[in-house]
Amino acid sequence: MTKLGRRDFVNYLLGFGSISALAAIAYPIGRFLVPPPIREAEPNSLKVGTLDDFPVNSSKIIRFGRTPVILIRDGEENMRALTATCTHLDCIVQFSSERQQIICACHNGVYDLTGKNISGPPPKPLSEFSVKVIDKEIIISQNRA
Amino acid sequence: MKKTYQTHFNELRVTVVSIILLPFCLAAQDKGAKSSDSNTINTCVECHETLEMMPEGYSAGDIHQKSGISCSGCHGGDPTNYDKDESMSKKAGYIGLPKRQDIPAFCGRCHSHIDFMRTFRPRIATDQVDQYYQSVHGKKLAQGDKNVAECASCHSSHAIMPADDPRSTTHALNIPKTCKQCHSNGKLMDQYGIPHDQYDKYAASVHGKALLEKKDTGVATCNDCHGNHAATPPDAESVSNICGTCHLNNMNLFKSSQMAADFDIHSCQECHGNHDIQKPTDQMLNTASNEEAICLECHTAGDEGASTANTMYQDIQGVDSLYALAKTKLTASKTSGMNFSEIDYQIQQTRQNLIQMRTLIHSFDTSQVNAKSVEGIKIAREAIHLADLEIQEYHNRRWGFGVSVIALVILALAVYLKIRERNELVKNSR
Repeated sequence: MTKLGRRDFVNYLLGFGSISALAAIAYPIGRFLVPPPIREAEPNSLKVGTLDDFPVNSSKIIRFGRTPVILIRDGEENMRALTATCTHLDCIVQFSSERQQIICACHNGVYDLTGKNISGPPPKPLSEFSVKVIDKEIIISQNRA
Repeated sequence: MKKTYQTHFNELRVTVVSIILLPFCLAAQDKGAKSSDSNTINTCVECHETLEMMPEGYSAGDIHQKSGISCSGCHGGDPTNYDKDESMSKKAGYIGLPKRQDIPAFCGRCHSHIDFMRTFRPRIATDQVDQYYQSVHGKKLAQGDKNVAECASCHSSHAIMPADDPRSTTHALNIPKTCKQCHSNGKLMDQYGIPHDQYDKYAASVHGKALLEKKDTGVATCNDCHGNHAATPPDAESVSNICGTCHLNNMNLFKSSQMAADFDIHSCQECHGNHDIQKPTDQMLNTASNEEAICLECHTAGDEGASTANTMYQDIQGVDSLYALAKTKLTASKTSGMNFSEIDYQIQQTRQNLIQMRTLIHSFDTSQVNAKSVEGIKIAREAIHLADLEIQEYHNRRWGFGVSVIALVILALAVYLKIRERNELVKNSR
């Protein structure tokens, strides 16, 4: 067995170091390119479906990042999106098609369709999202102050 | 009619007091004379201020004062005349201080007059006096009881403000203290055989703490359950409806339950109490290992009712323990600087599930509670799984960073040794 010389050792060390350094650079780049198992946090806008998916006088709770949003179609052309968590104690609100109001069943809080708190314990209105319909596609986005 | 000794004494007393007060009233008149506009003259306030005889608790912020109704608006008399005998004469329409029994009618002269009241507020109610006489207070006052509350007992006499003004005695934050004035007076309440610890109980209750400590005006206070002008203790049948004003789903579930159908005496207060309602805990259902479980007040451990309660308790606990674990892992993800949005969303969903389960128990239907429990456990486990992934990713990144640093150090060392070796070769070749 031949004895490992100093020059060979340095060459091996250089080779190992180079490969390791390349791997240390390549791995994060690779991980960055592969989509993460958990989707990213706060989108600016979101496609939620087409008008045909939402009959008139219906509502649906959708998620916008980590915020539950209530999407309401209260007329042929009227779509509204508001935060779905009651401003009283964070229960999920519901759309009442008969009353044309948004109600929170936890403590009977009532909001009008613009999200304004009109009855019961909710102290603040629901935040509004902007809704656009482009070629029957519904897109909601955050209202930036 | 022959005057009695008492009548003579009263007349003498009025004369003596008038002589004593005359200089003060003249001083006030001089002061008032400086005011050119007779419409702004209010000799009542001028004299009473000068004499330091203003009514107790008088406030210039009183809604009547602010609406242009001064002392004479209620007490009659002529506020433009500095002569006390004339301004406070029957001829000038002076009424003075009404008797306690007459106060509702006294206030009702305006407050039951719809056309007059509408000149101030178009939607104002004008049935307060009628309602008052339907109340326990009103009925007793009509029977001649002089101890019961009348208008001024709650609204004050000279610092009356709208109920939405935080200074008002009838503002939501002040209602318990207003009622407490009489209802915590043991001596007074003993006469009627009613307890006097309601305020203390309410202050320690979930509603009382929210109102008095957190200043949450959306929470129930005395008049939300008892009414105000027509204040009456709610009977057993109406308790569910009253609680259902805010706790709508709980009321609907309970009313449609077998419990309500079979035991019509049961209502919210059977389990939750009334003035001392505490924040409900799951332990109220734990009939298996908690002797204090509320269900055991009627049921015995092991019977059908107790078993139903315990089944629901176990279902809730199954979700609640996973919810607590998921929250701990969420905190770990957050403090590690990892992406926690999805986990947070799943935890919110689990919380909604718990709220729904704790509402559904009022149906006493274990299948409904169990269905929500299965759903909640699934969501909570997903949240825990995602949190574990994030925490693992955090550790992977730390280890990866350490290994990368070592690799780069080895590379730097190897490059250094290589350069030194080349330098030695060059040096030797020379």
